[in-house]
Amino acid sequence: MLWVDKYRPKSLDKVIVHEDIAQNLKKLVTEQDCPHLLFYGPSGSGKKTLIMALLKQIYGASAEKVKVENRAWKVDAGSRTLDLEVTTLSSTNHVELTPSDAGFQDRYIVQEIIKEMAKNRPIDTKGKKGYKVLVLNEVDKLSREAQHSLRRTMEKYSSSCRLILCCNSSSKVTEAIKSRCLNVRINAPSKEEIVKVLEFIAKKESLQLPHNFAARIAEKSNRSLRRAILSLETCRVQNYPFTDNQVISPMDWEEYVAEVAADIMKEQSPKSLFQVRGKVYELLVNCIPPEVILKRLLHELLKKLDSELKLEVCHWAAYYEHRMRLGQKAIFHIEAFVAKFMSIYKNFLIAAFG
Amino acid sequence: MDFDIPSPGELERLEANEEEDDYLYFEEAPYPYPIDGDEENEEEKEPSFRQSESPDINGCKRPRSLLSDPIINLDEVSPASEKRSKIDDNRVEMEDEDWLRFSPVKEAVRVMEEEEEVVPQETILSRYASEIDGECFPITAPDGGERVYAKFCRALGDEEVKKLDMKAKSNGLIKDPISVLLQQSEKEAFNKVLQASSEDQNETITAETPIMHEKLWVDKYSPSSFTELLSDEQTNREVLLWLKQWDASVFGSEIRSTTDEVLSALKRHSTTTHRQKSDSAFTRKNHLNRWTKESSTYPKNSEVSNSNTTDNHDSWNKKSKLIGPPEQKILLLCGAPGLGKTTLAHVAAKHCGYRVVEINASDERSAAAIETRILDVVQMNSVTADSRPKCLVIDEIDGALGDGKGAVDVILKMVLAERKHATGKENIDNGKTSSKKERKTAPLSRPVICICNDLYAPALRPLRQIAKVHIFVQPTVSRVVNRLKYICNMEGMTTRSFGLSALADYTECDIRSCLNTLQFLNKKNETLNVIDIGSQVVGQKDMSKSLFDIWKEIFNKRKMKRERSTDPSGSEAKKFDFLHSLVSSRGDYDLIFDGIHENILKLQYHDPVMDKTISCLDCLGTSDLLHRYIMRTQQMPLYVYFPSLVIPIHRRVAQIQRPTIEWPKSYHRCRTLLLEKQEFLRSWHHKIPPYIGRHLSVKSFVEDFVSPLLHVLSPPNLRPVASHLLSDGQKNQLAGLVMLMCSYSVTYKNVKPDPALSNLRENAASDASVLALDPHLFDFISFKGRQLKHHVLTVAMKQVLVHEVEKQKILQASGGRSGILNKPEIKKTNQDFARKTTSAPNESRRNPFTSKPPSVSVEKVTISKPISSDVKKASRTALSFFDRFRKSRKDYEDPEDVQKRATAKRDSRPLLFKFNEGFTNAVKRPVRMREFLL
Repeated sequence: MLWVDKYRPKSLDKVIVHEDIAQNLKKLVTEQDCPHLLFYGPSGSGKKTLIMALLKQIYGASAEKVKVENRAWKVDAGSRTLDLEVTTLSSTNHVELTPSDAGFQDRYIVQEIIKEMAKNRPIDTKGKKGYKVLVLNEVDKLSREAQHSLRRTMEKYSSSCRLILCCNSSSKVTEAIKSRCLNVRINAPSKEEIVKVLEFIAKKESLQLPHNFAARIAEKSNRSLRRAILSLETCRVQNYPFTDNQVISPMDWEEYVAEVAADIMKEQSPKSLFQVRGKVYELLVNCIPPEVILKRLLHELLKKLDSELKLEVCHWAAYYEHRMRLGQKAIFHIEAFVAKFMSIYKNFLIAAFG
Repeated sequence: MDFDIPSPGELERLEANEEEDDYLYFEEAPYPYPIDGDEENEEEKEPSFRQSESPDINGCKRPRSLLSDPIINLDEVSPASEKRSKIDDNRVEMEDEDWLRFSPVKEAVRVMEEEEEVVPQETILSRYASEIDGECFPITAPDGGERVYAKFCRALGDEEVKKLDMKAKSNGLIKDPISVLLQQSEKEAFNKVLQASSEDQNETITAETPIMHEKLWVDKYSPSSFTELLSDEQTNREVLLWLKQWDASVFGSEIRSTTDEVLSALKRHSTTTHRQKSDSAFTRKNHLNRWTKESSTYPKNSEVSNSNTTDNHDSWNKKSKLIGPPEQKILLLCGAPGLGKTTLAHVAAKHCGYRVVEINASDERSAAAIETRILDVVQMNSVTADSRPKCLVIDEIDGALGDGKGAVDVILKMVLAERKHATGKENIDNGKTSSKKERKTAPLSRPVICICNDLYAPALRPLRQIAKVHIFVQPTVSRVVNRLKYICNMEGMTTRSFGLSALADYTECDIRSCLNTLQFLNKKNETLNVIDIGSQVVGQKDMSKSLFDIWKEIFNKRKMKRERSTDPSGSEAKKFDFLHSLVSSRGDYDLIFDGIHENILKLQYHDPVMDKTISCLDCLGTSDLLHRYIMRTQQMPLYVYFPSLVIPIHRRVAQIQRPTIEWPKSYHRCRTLLLEKQEFLRSWHHKIPPYIGRHLSVKSFVEDFVSPLLHVLSPPNLRPVASHLLSDGQKNQLAGLVMLMCSYSVTYKNVKPDPALSNLRENAASDASVLALDPHLFDFISFKGRQLKHHVLTVAMKQVLVHEVEKQKILQASGGRSGILNKPEIKKTNQDFARKTTSAPNESRRNPFTSKPPSVSVEKVTISKPISSDVKKASRTALSFFDRFRKSRKDYEDPEDVQKRATAKRDSRPLLFKFNEGFTNAVKRPVRMREFLL
């Protein structure tokens, strides 16, 4: 097992990073019936870990025995019947699923399947809590319709079922749902916290971890705990004992984006844009989400940019990202951004150097 | 000779004919047909005689013409004969009609000459029977009730009948005998003269013309003979030749050697046909001579195509040797609409003596329905009079995809069946009597002509390979204009050839639409206006061009032929309209924009600060937003805004030089690859145990998981040496790595090296197979044009790892799902098992499958506590199931011995039990086996 999984806190008591939140959650669950919960925060901040620990707090060890189920549902959608296949992860007391997997049919999953699951009270209620928990991942990717149909479900079956929603950005969750939930913001861990975790792991693994090195890893990790731990392990595999200025191998795709950015800075012409397109396609093919590419690209470009241009470039990046999210073909918009940047940059160069 | 007394039978027949003529005359609308003004003298007759003029002609003209020029006027004799053709009838009537319509004309000299030959008139028609000498009979006009008496004339001698027969049976390439053709052309020429001379008298005609327009010009002037075809000469001839190749198998005759000669003659004829004046009696005679020569040299052949004799096949199949049909049995004609494909097929088939059976889009075209029809055509002979062999014309075969496919399939089946039974080919007679079971694979024994617009329609792909394909090209504008002019002349419409050529240009030489347009204009009494042909004429085709053409139009700036410098805005607007209609008539916007996106950056446009590029890409982006919005809200009306998005792009980047345009592949390639990879990740995700996998989403995986994972999976300091040579730390590391690989269900696997990827992976040696990661995770971090920086394990190391992982997996499987990590638990269960095996050995023998693995795992866990203490040994015990089995068998020495011991044991304990693994809902409580036994 990787250290990420090995040292994942199993219970709320062992949580290091978001200790206060963990304690609050524990209080919430032990003292009274818990409300619906909405966890949001950037990836790698520990949402899932907290949710799992919370489930364990509620149901005890049985929450950890999970099985994967691939179930086909027949959903009656007006005149026709749809065949939906849903992958669920379930223990006796909770079900976890990602409704946005169904794409534009997510509405039916929410309307039919989740309702169906929510309706059924757990059978053996003796002694245990009288409700089951539905964990829904990536709620922010749900379509608006699906979210609307979700809110009635939340109210109607609240006696037998609690929903735990998990998403990256709460801005894409409708107000109606947010107001029905207790919102829990899990922010990205600060660098100090990351260093703390890394040192904890190093102690467990009985490794010598120089503090500076840990700080460097934390620096490089973009405040993602997952990435920090993974790079620590990578470094351990590649070179041990650690030295202060050891190479921390970067993500491959980030390096590639840096290459693209260098291309853009080097030449601004339709021809070079065409080459950039090929590279962006490569990135997309490797399953990297377009918004991540755009963000990273902006990041790389800003590094090398004159400060007076930064504002404008950021503005256009935001503009094109917005369009990208409204549209379908990400490549069009990424390319448009690159073209825009090239134009701005070239104008700047001409103005500066004549 | 003229006044032979007719036999009663003939008389009757004549009478019938004449009456029929009368009816025809009265019922048919006045017919604008080539007129022959032979008998102007009749004009002097009283109006009251009009209705009954045809008997008059029939009576009077015949003897006269026979006297004067028996050969030329053969056709005019024909009314009395059995083979009289209808056309002749019509013509005669028309003649009558025409002298009525035209007031006395100053006629061409030639006509006067012919007139001189007319014998002195004899009274043949009168109100009073007494005025007629000889036999007469009464005729009553159907409308007026007027009654006249007509004289009987006996027109035919025996020789004439004979001659007629020969003529009718002639097997020229042309359906009509040469003499008739000559006469027709003569009349055409005459008509022109007449038309020219009578143009000033249009007013007199107008009273009658409205009724004449009942028929569409397209039908009225559709070519009725081969020589009138407007389509490309080369194609025409090849089609004809192909049809002629069938003669051998259909009619049983060989292709005549004169074919070429005749064809060339035909060609000459057809190209000059419009202009030809029927001036010389000499040429006429010449042709006739040749015809008579031919008919005497090939008397038999001429009989063959005589379609009216029903029993010709029998006689012919006996005599002629059989030659197979042409190599390619299907003829596929394709071309844009209105070029005359269908007409050519019909005319050519008719010409070669076939009866055309047409299946077109309006018929049912399911495979079953079409099969019966085709079989009908191919195998049956009609019992009715018209028993010419049939020729199947399948029109618009590319039409409806699903239906057209049925037809294609049936034809294909037949052709293929043919190929199989190539040796035992049946001729027509056998085909007729073929039994039912042969029906399934009935060979194709009649020509089949398929007609389509789009040669590359997907449904036609198989057909294209076996058929003879002819692509229709546009006829030259001058040819079309010539024909149009001719027709306009016939219709008395004044046009200028400039206008006509503009029209032909505009419709892309679609003669059908030209004619329809002209007729429409004629009806409105308008003249063809060259300038605003676009707005005036309704007949623009909804032409959907191919995508490549559209992209070309977008990227290509057209050089204005006639730079209309007066209003540049006007030409801009025109360009706008043109592009707009072009794009909107094509539809398929998504693809169009993909194509623009694909090709736009390769254009050579001047763009120093990328302004043009930005605005083009913004347009593309907008199209994407619009598309998504429409899809989401289903507001289809918004689609109208797509075409206008194309125009700014055109304005920005269009260049004079021709762009090279590629089909948009990259986006779809990207999409499919992406989906593939996502699916691949998902399936891998399912294999990972849930307590690990639940924390991984696709996004987080690619974003910050893959690269470190791969680094961790290939540690640089691991040496592929025997495990006992490893240091403790390295042993631990190896063990950890194996555990890691197991828990992420990653392993190495033999794969064929992918040549495209082999340069990416250093380890891709030249050997046939290479050990690669099983879920090929390297795919996710490999980018084109970038070297991987990951350390890659040596092959030996990988082999060791494969080995270990396999072992670990077996351990996991045998040690129960709960895992290998909690050893005490396993030990406990194993103790249970061990006890069981000792206590009940025969059970263990019966069920080695259930009982063996645990015992092995006991041994494993104990032995390989520091896991890789002895890889070799572990592998020997763990890897091969049969090894284990044999080894465990050894423990039991001799089977009989065991048996004995077992029975002894069983007797000592009076209880048999069998362990069934399974699941029950009953209350469970741990019980020792001995509790049962005691």
